[in-house]
Amino acid sequence: MSVEQQAGAIGLGVGDELPPFVVESVDAQRMKTMAALLDDPNPIHFDVELNKRIGYGDKPINQGPITMSYMMNVVVAAAGARAVRRFSCRFLGNVLGGERVECRGTVTAIDRDAGTAEIELTALVGDRQVLAGTATVALGGGN
Amino acid sequence: MANYSHLVGHRFPGGRFTLSPHLAWLWADCAMADPDPEVAHPTLSYFSAMQGCGVSIQEIFDLMGADADSGAMFGECVLEYNGALSPGETYEVEGAIIAVERKQGRRAGVFDRMTFQISGRREHDREPLFTVTNSFVFPRREEATT
Repeated sequence: MSVEQQAGAIGLGVGDELPPFVVESVDAQRMKTMAALLDDPNPIHFDVELNKRIGYGDKPINQGPITMSYMMNVVVAAAGARAVRRFSCRFLGNVLGGERVECRGTVTAIDRDAGTAEIELTALVGDRQVLAGTATVALGGGN
Repeated sequence: MANYSHLVGHRFPGGRFTLSPHLAWLWADCAMADPDPEVAHPTLSYFSAMQGCGVSIQEIFDLMGADADSGAMFGECVLEYNGALSPGETYEVEGAIIAVERKQGRRAGVFDRMTFQISGRREHDREPLFTVTNSFVFPRREEATT
């Protein structure tokens, strides 16, 4: 479950399905690290006892930036970190500690003049879509 | 009814932020990506923007009159790049609130959607290296009953 960050954007074509990025079990410990990195005070990411009391269940809720990063990994693996020009995502649902997340991407357009490819992205927990997004990457792999 | 539209145009203090290699490593680990000493994981633009803009997430919540446990959520994020970020680089960061809209959803009820945009540029560049546009959603359950 790692990603090579400097792969080149080679041979992308419309309709190509990119290799998925799968997290078999979202790690609660990494949520604690992220809460500290972001100075994010929201206890839903680390205080399971509080989540129980307020009706959020017995699992911590993954930070949006972590799940967003899983989806970015699909783009980076296909095109390289230097090639990313634009990335957007909408947060549609919570991801809980221990859940399996699968992120997928499909090439939807190639602009030879601009030298870019458009990618449609999704992140799923089972059949439930938790993120939807798009990315624009430089076909040459970026600068 | 509290109205937060006056916040549109509110500028964050901004500042300089150095993307320390150890922070870039930890972020990549949280992202389950391979840490790269030369090229930062692209979502580190979000981190650099939030760290460099001069306000914390709590302070953004405070501006919107929301507690950390009020159910505020990340709605949408757009990351734009003119190049890759690198661990060890320093960025000049600035940002502002660009929209506050009150909405009503069938399931969500009344909520405010606040959008802010932050950009970062290398110290001697004129153009931003990255621009981050975030929308946060603030439930206004009390407004549904008034």
